[in-house]
Amino acid sequence: MQLKNRRQSLTAATLTLLGTAAAGGAQADGRSWDIDSAVLVYSESGGRVQAIEPVVKGTLDLGGERYFSAKLVFDSLTGASPNGATPASTPQTFTGASGGGRASVTPAFETPLDDRFKDTRVQGVLDYSFPVSANGTLGFGGTVSSEYDFLSAGANLRYAHDLFQNNTTLSVGLSVEADQIDPVGGAPEPLTRVATGGGGGGDDEGEGEGENEGGGGRTQSKTVTDLVLGLTQVLGPRSLLQLNYSLSASSGYQNDPYKLLSVVGSDGEPDYYVWESRPDSRLKHALFARYKLFSFNRDVVDASYRYMTDDWGIASSTIDLTYRWNFAAHHYLEPHLRWYTQTAADFYRVALYDGEDQTVAHASADPRLGAFDAWTAGVKLGGTLNSGSDWSARLEWYQQQSKLTGVPAQAADGLSKFDLQPDLSAVMFTVGYRFKW
Amino acid sequence: MASPCEVLIDGASSAQTAELAHLAAAEVWRIEAHWSRYRKNNIVHRINTAGGKPVKVDEETARFLDYAQHLYQFSDGLFDVTSGVLRRIWTFDGSDRVPDARQIDAILPLVGWQKVDWQSPWLRMPAGMEIDFGGIGKEYAVDRALGLLRAQTPLPVLVNCGGDLAASGPHLDGSDWQVGVEIPGRADTPLMTLRAGGLASSGDAHRYLLKDGVRYPHVLDPRSGRAVTGGPHTVTVRASSCTEAGVLSTLALLHGPQAEDYLRSCGADAAVWW
Repeated sequence: MQLKNRRQSLTAATLTLLGTAAAGGAQADGRSWDIDSAVLVYSESGGRVQAIEPVVKGTLDLGGERYFSAKLVFDSLTGASPNGATPASTPQTFTGASGGGRASVTPAFETPLDDRFKDTRVQGVLDYSFPVSANGTLGFGGTVSSEYDFLSAGANLRYAHDLFQNNTTLSVGLSVEADQIDPVGGAPEPLTRVATGGGGGGDDEGEGEGENEGGGGRTQSKTVTDLVLGLTQVLGPRSLLQLNYSLSASSGYQNDPYKLLSVVGSDGEPDYYVWESRPDSRLKHALFARYKLFSFNRDVVDASYRYMTDDWGIASSTIDLTYRWNFAAHHYLEPHLRWYTQTAADFYRVALYDGEDQTVAHASADPRLGAFDAWTAGVKLGGTLNSGSDWSARLEWYQQQSKLTGVPAQAADGLSKFDLQPDLSAVMFTVGYRFKW
Repeated sequence: MASPCEVLIDGASSAQTAELAHLAAAEVWRIEAHWSRYRKNNIVHRINTAGGKPVKVDEETARFLDYAQHLYQFSDGLFDVTSGVLRRIWTFDGSDRVPDARQIDAILPLVGWQKVDWQSPWLRMPAGMEIDFGGIGKEYAVDRALGLLRAQTPLPVLVNCGGDLAASGPHLDGSDWQVGVEIPGRADTPLMTLRAGGLASSGDAHRYLLKDGVRYPHVLDPRSGRAVTGGPHTVTVRASSCTEAGVLSTLALLHGPQAEDYLRSCGADAAVWW
């Protein structure tokens, strides 16, 4: 029985080999799709963000090194993420924009979370690459992504050139993306007061009521242009080096329309809240280096380093190490370790001091713009079946440790009683399956 | 290819036959030039002389390497495109020079697809190892040539390269192609029929060693580095393509005395001569 199945796999593999020239059968068109599918499950601790993300990508080999691919990604997110406000000694109430004004109450001393964080995202990508000369390959693609409050469309063009008997590959890529953001309840005017629900935020409830109503509402947009220059060099019998430089320029609406900041007094308690404000452009430079080493005639070591810096004052470094241990003919085990560190954006503030919202141009309490270190550790197990299909399963742990910056000096004592930047941990599990179809 | 090739077309004019035969021959020669291990300027030569460095291969070779990988897994290591180096110690010239265990042990580290790092389009092989597509190259060329001819004519076509052949369909009158199978040491030529698809034979032919009364045929198990003894003289398989038939007939021979059991377990349409 098993051998019969294997015979079918032989027939299928032979048809693939023969391509369109397959003899003697109705399946004369032996072109087949190479289907890569995966499901990622992501879960943050403490009831924060939970996500499930199925991905399917099909690549069609059109012969003559021409490839067409189509990819579909589906994202489903639930849970809560910090809304930017600091904890307080009394319960705080926030009105969720998407919940039709439904108020949520954060208990005293807890980090306020935005629990209406529910979203589904659908993304589609089409791509085509083909040789333009004996050594040159051109590729272009398009992508569309949609969420309930976000629409994005992008296009890219790439060229790769092989030199020195394919020992060196130079590449250049350009991509442009246009985003449209339609925040629920309108895009709030930056640094204006947030309307809060009754009973929250200390003694001045109502002070900011209504201030952001009608303050936004217009569709916001952003364009992102990326340029990537790459060099891949075969160093010797057992190693490869890859270098990339990338430049990313983003202009337009950069705010997270749901993030706010607490404006606190010297006691560290919030007087009111204001919507965050980010610059309307961002320029990023990144350098990436990867070294691949084939070891023991069996395994692969992959080490990479990435440095990124931007004009918001963030600089980050990522060190990533994987070791692919081909412990058996058709199976491998791949431990993975990643270390990440970033500095805070110049305008990152845990909170603003009373009245400071009138003097600063930009401020955000988004933890993603703060300083932190993060470790990712994981292991992947994979193999090849008799049918030629590949499978893999990967389990990873993520642990983020914040480094406290951006605390207003006048309120530092008052705020010191709170856990201002709780650490974050998450577990990720991915299963993948690749097959011919 | 050391074997003569022929193209038969039912109902074609001689001019058309000549034109199509020319097309088929060009394809067979192209593949031979592309993958022959006797040539100095092709991809196989670059791979075999890379000295352990990664080599980027063309799309057709990549498909062939994917196939080689599949065959290696399909056959539990019996079908191995890296086994060609065993020829350095096994010379099937009818003599009694059977290599000893020491010679075999010395060469075995250079055999084994599992030692090859194949991540399409990059192939990296430890220095000293070689790949050889000879085991299926001819059958592949037959299928490719037939594929080209099918695209040119709706008439029934048969391409035959040294007994490995493929047909696009039955004769115009609906009858099957009659194929004579040459069995070494037999006076008669058993006939097999072929309607559409491929037919391929594997045998130890005239290439063997004879020592202490044991016949060592030109059939080498890449896992042990030793000749497979006690198997049939010739195995002929009919399948949907010549390539598939060739793979199954080769694997049957490698199963030695269990050749017929193996063919049966695969559901192969085969004839075996002992």
